[in-house]
Amino acid sequence: MAALYSRSRLKLLLRSALHLSNRTLTGSGGKFDYDLLVIGGGSGGLACSKEAAQLGQKVAVLDYVEPSVRGTKWGLGGTCVNVGCIPKKLMHQAALLGSAVKDAQKYGWQIPQPVSHDWATLAESVQNYVKSLNWGHRVQLQDRKVKYMNMKGSLVDDHTVRCLSSRGKEMTVTARNILIATGGRPKYPTHVPGALEFGISSDDLFWLKETPGKTLVVGASYVGLECAGFLTGIGLEATVMVRSIALRGFDQQMSRLVTDYMQGYGTRFCWDCVPKKVEKLPSGLLQVTWTDSRTGQDHQDTFNSVLWAVGRAPETGTLNLQQVGVELDGDTRKVMVADDERTSVPNIYAIGDIAQGRPELTPTAIHAGKLLARRLAGLSSQLMDYSNVPTTVFTPLEYGCVGLSEEEAERRYGKDKIEVYHAFYKPLEFTVAERDSSQCYIKVVCERDGDQKVVGLHFTGLNAGEVTQGFALSLRCGLSYAQLRDSVGIHPTCAEELTKIYITKRSGLDATVTGC
Amino acid sequence: MAQYEEVKVRGYEEFCKTVSDRAGKDIFAYFSGDKDQQGQSWCPDCVKAEPVVRGEMNHLPEGSVFIYCQVGDRPYWKDPNNEFKKTLKLTGVPTLLRYGTPQKLVEEQCFKADLVRMMFTED
Repeated sequence: MAALYSRSRLKLLLRSALHLSNRTLTGSGGKFDYDLLVIGGGSGGLACSKEAAQLGQKVAVLDYVEPSVRGTKWGLGGTCVNVGCIPKKLMHQAALLGSAVKDAQKYGWQIPQPVSHDWATLAESVQNYVKSLNWGHRVQLQDRKVKYMNMKGSLVDDHTVRCLSSRGKEMTVTARNILIATGGRPKYPTHVPGALEFGISSDDLFWLKETPGKTLVVGASYVGLECAGFLTGIGLEATVMVRSIALRGFDQQMSRLVTDYMQGYGTRFCWDCVPKKVEKLPSGLLQVTWTDSRTGQDHQDTFNSVLWAVGRAPETGTLNLQQVGVELDGDTRKVMVADDERTSVPNIYAIGDIAQGRPELTPTAIHAGKLLARRLAGLSSQLMDYSNVPTTVFTPLEYGCVGLSEEEAERRYGKDKIEVYHAFYKPLEFTVAERDSSQCYIKVVCERDGDQKVVGLHFTGLNAGEVTQGFALSLRCGLSYAQLRDSVGIHPTCAEELTKIYITKRSGLDATVTGC
Repeated sequence: MAQYEEVKVRGYEEFCKTVSDRAGKDIFAYFSGDKDQQGQSWCPDCVKAEPVVRGEMNHLPEGSVFIYCQVGDRPYWKDPNNEFKKTLKLTGVPTLLRYGTPQKLVEEQCFKADLVRMMFTED
């Protein structure tokens, strides 16, 4: 018996046991450098990598920001943190405070008017906050043992990624699974002379040290409208140039209310116009020539800045995807993915803005990233549910929504199979402030039969995001009109109007809410 | 030329003067509770963190400044209106920060050598 457990035998057993545990530590049986390599340190990439690391996977993240045409660059965190949601919302808040200051007089505040706004102060505060988020993410990654590399990644084969630093340093990394989460960047209308040389995009706007001044915003997506909105709010002259419709993809009645409010607020709109060229004058001002597509006539005006908000393109250009067999959508050029975020290559996944058919939203990317991490660690089989994702457009009059637009509901169910309840309401805060509430509106789109299940909910007003969040949850739980009507409101709020809604569009009655 | 300059200061005013005298430099500051005659701080976390921070100082960038700042005694620190809390926005001791940037490590974060090294070595 003793012979079997001789010291040399024991040493051998111990060594192989250690070897096994080493293999478990690297987690990939020693075959790959990492269990998961994430390309893209934005909302989706970071969420997935942190979750995977917490679940014991060996994870690395590559994040690299190609400078914008103007040369703007930023740190770790992706679009949301650096040039999207965060700076946008802060600047929107700055604009709202401007309105609040104006209203304050009616509420008794002795504030000398007119009040002026300093861009440099706002920009610095916003930029400092963003930088603190960059740092926070950096610390989190380090803390959770996620290897971070400020390098540009490209695929060599389905398990190998080539990494390139800005200084030209190169290295190769292998991984069992690869996640592509490189997001998107603003498009430039390259066919418009002067567009690249003289225009800026949302990549640049939040990082400007000096005020953008009188600005032409080309594009009426939520990016365009939100930017034009807060620029107007902080006292700058802003014009939105719209090719055809505003907020494409959103409920068009609600979109109209948003832009009507903005027009009353002071933002100018050039409807049915397309830019023709941008030139720089000796004064430094930009002269824009555009065509009114209704009349065919050309027009001109000068601006300090031209902001292109004409769409976003997926960041796939330098990933070398097609050579490795990762298929892209023919139209959008986004990465094609299955329900489990898998691409056409079995161990390569894609989430966030880069993935075809996904909402271009931070919370969905984060949620999908976490669920993917759990699936990759073998702890779950739960897939991301992309239905009924709520969102809010942070224009001067905010618009929150969840579910189907009225048009989409009509398309899917048929006009006579849906019931649309609606109401024009007046926020209490607007009364003393003598503000116009004509565009404050609620619409609840329901199935016509039975309990009338709610399929779409739309709200324009103050704090639309805060109002919509809770109702979005109830929608996921199968909210019906009957339940909505049966719930008790909180008074006095705007949200309570949702519990009191009863006029249908079908009735043709006046939907203006009166009194308490 | 020495890799970095270490300056020991005590109290808010001395800290501010030291910083303004070195305007334009890469300044790291470590805030700790005062040490007594025996060299022991009233702040147990500061006692724990100091050797960790000192252990990584060889990674400080060339030409940088390292300010070791004693903030005051415990009652001074506990006062929510003390200058460090009010103006420098410190929330706890120990705090290690890179002056003029959002880079900062607070309390238990200072126990982690890899985080300290990250702050000293990354841009």
